[in-house]
Amino acid sequence: MSGAIKTDAADETREKTLDPETLSRLDEVLGEYRSKPGALIPVLQIAQGMIGYLPEVVLKRISVGLGKPYSEVAGVVGFYSFFTTMPRGTHLVRVCLGTACYVRGGKQVLDALKDELGIDVGETTPDGEFSLEVGRCFGACGLAPTIMIDDDVLQRVKPSRIRGILDVYRENDKGE
Amino acid sequence: MKLKSAKDLDALRKEASGRMSIRGDKKRMQIVVHMGTCGIASGAREILNTFAREIDTNGIDTVTLRQSGCIGLCDQEPVCTLQDGAGKEFRYGRLTAQKVGKIVREHVLKGDPVIDYIITQ
Amino acid sequence: MNLVKNHILVCTGGGCVASGALEVSAALKKSVERFGLSEDVSVVETGCLGPCAVGPVALVYPDAVLYESLKPEHAAEIVEEHLLKGRVVERMVHRSKPGQKGAAEIRESDFFKKQVKIVLKNCGVIDPVRIEEYIARDGYQALAKVLSGMTPEEVIAVVKRSGLRGRGGAGFPTGMKWEFCRKAKGDPKYVLCNADEGDPGAFMDRSILEGDPHSLIEAMAIAAYAIGAKEGFVYVRAEYPLAVKRLTSAIEQAREYGLLGEDIFGTGFGFDLEIRMGSGAFVCGEETALMTSIEGNRGEPRPRPPFPANKGLWGKPSLLNNVETYANIPVIMLKGDEWYSSFGTKKSKGTKVFALAGSVVNTGLVEVPIGMPLGEIVYDIGGGLKDGKPFKAAQIGGPSGGCIPKQYLNVPVDYESLSELGAIMGSGGMIIMDEDTCMVDMSRFFLEFVQEESCGKCSPCRVGTRRMLEILNRICEGKGKEGDIDTLIELGNTIKDTALCGLGQTAPNPVLSAIQHFRDEFIAHIRDKRCPAGVCPELVRAPCQNNCPAGVDVPGYVSLIGEKRYEEALRLHRERNPFAAVCSRVCFHRCEEKCRRQTIDEAVSIRMLKRFMADREKRIILPEVRGCEENKNRKVAIVGAGPAGLSCGYFLARLGYRPKIFEAAPRAGGMLAQAIPAYRLPREILDKEIEMICSLGVEIETGTALGKDFTLERLKAQGFEAVFLGLGAPDGIGMPSFNVKNGACVQAIRFLYDYNIGGSANVGKNVCVVGGGNAAIDAARTALRLGARSVTVLYRRTKDEMPAYAEEVEEARKEGVDFEFLTSPFEIISSNGGMCGVRCRRMTLGEFDESGRRRPLPSGEEETLEADQLILAIGQSIDTSALFGRAAVQTNKKNFIVADPVTGQTSVEWIFAGGDAVLGPASVVDAVAGGEMCAVGIDLFLTGGTHAFWREEKESSTFFDPDEDPVEYGRANAMLISPAQRKKNFREVERPLMEAVALREAKRCLRCDYRETC
Repeated sequence: MSGAIKTDAADETREKTLDPETLSRLDEVLGEYRSKPGALIPVLQIAQGMIGYLPEVVLKRISVGLGKPYSEVAGVVGFYSFFTTMPRGTHLVRVCLGTACYVRGGKQVLDALKDELGIDVGETTPDGEFSLEVGRCFGACGLAPTIMIDDDVLQRVKPSRIRGILDVYRENDKGE
Repeated sequence: MKLKSAKDLDALRKEASGRMSIRGDKKRMQIVVHMGTCGIASGAREILNTFAREIDTNGIDTVTLRQSGCIGLCDQEPVCTLQDGAGKEFRYGRLTAQKVGKIVREHVLKGDPVIDYIITQ
Repeated sequence: MNLVKNHILVCTGGGCVASGALEVSAALKKSVERFGLSEDVSVVETGCLGPCAVGPVALVYPDAVLYESLKPEHAAEIVEEHLLKGRVVERMVHRSKPGQKGAAEIRESDFFKKQVKIVLKNCGVIDPVRIEEYIARDGYQALAKVLSGMTPEEVIAVVKRSGLRGRGGAGFPTGMKWEFCRKAKGDPKYVLCNADEGDPGAFMDRSILEGDPHSLIEAMAIAAYAIGAKEGFVYVRAEYPLAVKRLTSAIEQAREYGLLGEDIFGTGFGFDLEIRMGSGAFVCGEETALMTSIEGNRGEPRPRPPFPANKGLWGKPSLLNNVETYANIPVIMLKGDEWYSSFGTKKSKGTKVFALAGSVVNTGLVEVPIGMPLGEIVYDIGGGLKDGKPFKAAQIGGPSGGCIPKQYLNVPVDYESLSELGAIMGSGGMIIMDEDTCMVDMSRFFLEFVQEESCGKCSPCRVGTRRMLEILNRICEGKGKEGDIDTLIELGNTIKDTALCGLGQTAPNPVLSAIQHFRDEFIAHIRDKRCPAGVCPELVRAPCQNNCPAGVDVPGYVSLIGEKRYEEALRLHRERNPFAAVCSRVCFHRCEEKCRRQTIDEAVSIRMLKRFMADREKRIILPEVRGCEENKNRKVAIVGAGPAGLSCGYFLARLGYRPKIFEAAPRAGGMLAQAIPAYRLPREILDKEIEMICSLGVEIETGTALGKDFTLERLKAQGFEAVFLGLGAPDGIGMPSFNVKNGACVQAIRFLYDYNIGGSANVGKNVCVVGGGNAAIDAARTALRLGARSVTVLYRRTKDEMPAYAEEVEEARKEGVDFEFLTSPFEIISSNGGMCGVRCRRMTLGEFDESGRRRPLPSGEEETLEADQLILAIGQSIDTSALFGRAAVQTNKKNFIVADPVTGQTSVEWIFAGGDAVLGPASVVDAVAGGEMCAVGIDLFLTGGTHAFWREEKESSTFFDPDEDPVEYGRANAMLISPAQRKKNFREVERPLMEAVALREAKRCLRCDYRETC
């Protein structure tokens, strides 16, 4: 991480803003899942869905709530690539590097995105707008190369169209 | 509705297939928009909405608009299948709002398939 | 429910109506009624279908057959034959030409015609969020049948007899798996579904989950009944949000309808289902890892045994199948095992869904009976490759699979045949690759994937694949070493034997299979530091330059042209290729094939820019020479003054040698002078460049033939220290049934020689040329110019398979040359002692042969074509035995010379060879490259060092602003003089670009050679 974002500071500010409502919703979830076998992963998924990422304070709460050692919770979070302990940008841009997309130029699309956003994979733009990640096949191989921005799959992406695609998201954010 | 026996299931099957079949109703036409991930990525949701809008603004009440899954023609997405009153099927591909307008005007209203947009049957 | 109906679209566009379409339509309607088909066939009058010239036309769906020139009396025949009996009335079918709509539709319809939809029968038909629609199409009937009338053992027996095998990877027999689980002791038992479709490139499971989720629910309930389970889990990957949503809603509906839960159908059997979402870990597709993950832990695999059937989820007996496997179950239960096993091959029953992707025209999901030949899937269903490029390989089975090269397009796609070739069926991802894919880079891609996804638990997978990846990275960067390939194979085999789980054990497969089938490409990277596909960035400066056999700095000279620095541009070109003017006429411009500008619009018109540049050469521009006294005194002989020999002389002269060329023909130039017609290459252009080479100190002696006037030994005796053989492939290949001594039958190469060198050639009135290569086209166009009334090219395959340059074929056609494809002559018909015709067999295309093309086979039909001359152009060779005397120069099976691919040295250390004599008939620029290579090889042999200063990369001195957007205008194409003006003479056909046009065109270059310098 080449300091594209002041992660520590940002992390802290956002963590402080974890409002009591979110925390109580998290506790509800914990209560519901406590007795279910294999609950840890679904709970982590729900928590990340609510908060956007999994800060330490949340992991600790989950560890206590499910009665599992913190090390086990952290170990599971570290294993799966979908879990993140860093806050992500407003939009998560994922470039598919599955076989079909790779063959049809996914790597060039990734390079163009890196250029356009000025960040590397795993980083977030300084304005907190976009995070860039690599995905392995969104199952839309017939339309390769594809990228996924948040939950939208975008098809037949050309490096030359990257700027236009991102601009739509930028404009929408300004509009809000 | 709970199905309590195989008999219940059979009854529902008959009823449902009667509803699905449009053979008996000469005027009824059915448009199915294929909405798998591929289709949606290519804009199938917008196509479905456009069909709904076009059908509505033209005051057509003889068309059933449905959605379904992927038919495997990724390259042609978004795709819809139009079944006319006689049960004949037409498949349109690479749809755009403009093409939808023309399909509704030509095929739905006048019964003339838009050959240029048909991919296969 | 039969949803597919026929209909006949009768064109009632203006043209067709004028030629009687309405009457045809009425007659068709009447016939449909008469045959009682009114329910199934409908006659529709539509707008213009396109081919008005052959109207009235009608299009019959679903086959999309287009009939032409219809009359009302044809109606009955079409209806009876085609619609009633299903036989297309070939006689009336429109022969579509490329670019016409008819052709496209026929192709599209093949997409469905060859498929058998069992698993995907509901996908795209029903509304997946409405359970009634599934039920309307016999949904849950199988469950009802099983619960109300079959014992669990009977269910398992049916699955076993059906021959169904796991569709997720290894193809384990499904029935056996069920039986193991049924017999396992333990309670409760679990039914699990693997929907963690992680193989990049496969998405059939997603499609089923999204399009027909109830089929999975029903199948899992049946499986639960069979093994005695009450609970099930579906493990879906997180990348499929829509699939999760639809499956969730389907489960809720099934519960609502009592199809999940307690006491289903009042039989006392209960079953319920939960979804677990993955979190982005590929290894969780491995069965033991998947179970660990459902348990809520890091998804690491466990060693087997114990197998999941005995100790699976939470240590209990568990049945795990993937989505596609389950989706087969309901229909097997309903229609029976016999019906199901009627599809497929002896050992692999049923159908398989493939996700067709990559460089294929029709991408998408296709379901075919197992055992369909790969070529049929790629060409008939897939519609062939994008942009008509040649097929290179199909990657099947993802990171655990391998690739199948074009030699095996005929392989039946089933479990056994694929694994014999080093691939696997896997989950059914099928990525089609053309020549733009680098197999080394592809191997690296899969290893990177495995490296990233390896859970790290066992060291063969974690460390072994990293070692392999490091080697591949090195190779791609141009730092490969001798022995790397062997190390990769060794490491790969070790990992296969020792890794803990399936992911690791299969991880080396993509690399091993790439080496097995594409070893040459690995060697090119390691030894020649070249990436033939133009992919590996460290080895490729610009794709155009990379694809030029001579390695000409294309962006360099194009950008110099753009700055009007024409002399410098030409000088830069001649650094690597002396024949700038010749190649600007006859080169098949492989540079343009790879031009990156094509991703925006079309390739830069590189050859025409070269022509413009070469035409401006007024005073001969000589290249740089770095000679020395010693070299001047060394004697080097060159045999053959073709492009290879002349190039070899040129580059030797630039090192200070004074080589002497011996040429058998009365003039220098080889094929450039003897075969290529003057309308393509004016002779003064050729002579100018030969003169340029001579002015560097190269001596040419014409009319002196090896084997007749001198021998290799004598050259040696005369003090020549090294000899280059640039002999070409000057002998035409004959056909056993034709005697070329018979005056009416002549070799194309002889025919062209007679005219080009001798000044006249005998030409018939009606000429047939046999062959599909460039020599055939040159001979045909020359015959036309020499006064033949008709010229017909006979080719045994189709236009798509012709090796001749497409543009040449097109120009020949415009000049009036006829083409008969799928035609093979076998006998000359004579009358009154003269030839009057030729008997031909009509061919059809059969199975795929080793060249990746369909093999032409006699169709049984024969025909006689009128002809009084037959020109053979089916191939060229060289008769080395007569030339070499006692010198033991080794040749290969086809009698071409064997030479070292880096130095050109033959089995005799002082003899070198290049060009057609080594490669077989190839192109001019290949000969230039061969000549250059041997010049460097000879220099190395004589001095022990490499002094090829022209190979050093030149830094570009032209201006380029990387931030500027590419110019927006399109490609400037060559202008040709009209066929009427050119077909009776040998004037040059092509006109040069105007200066303003050339300058604009040069600016279209994207400057792929540009690198940030800091």
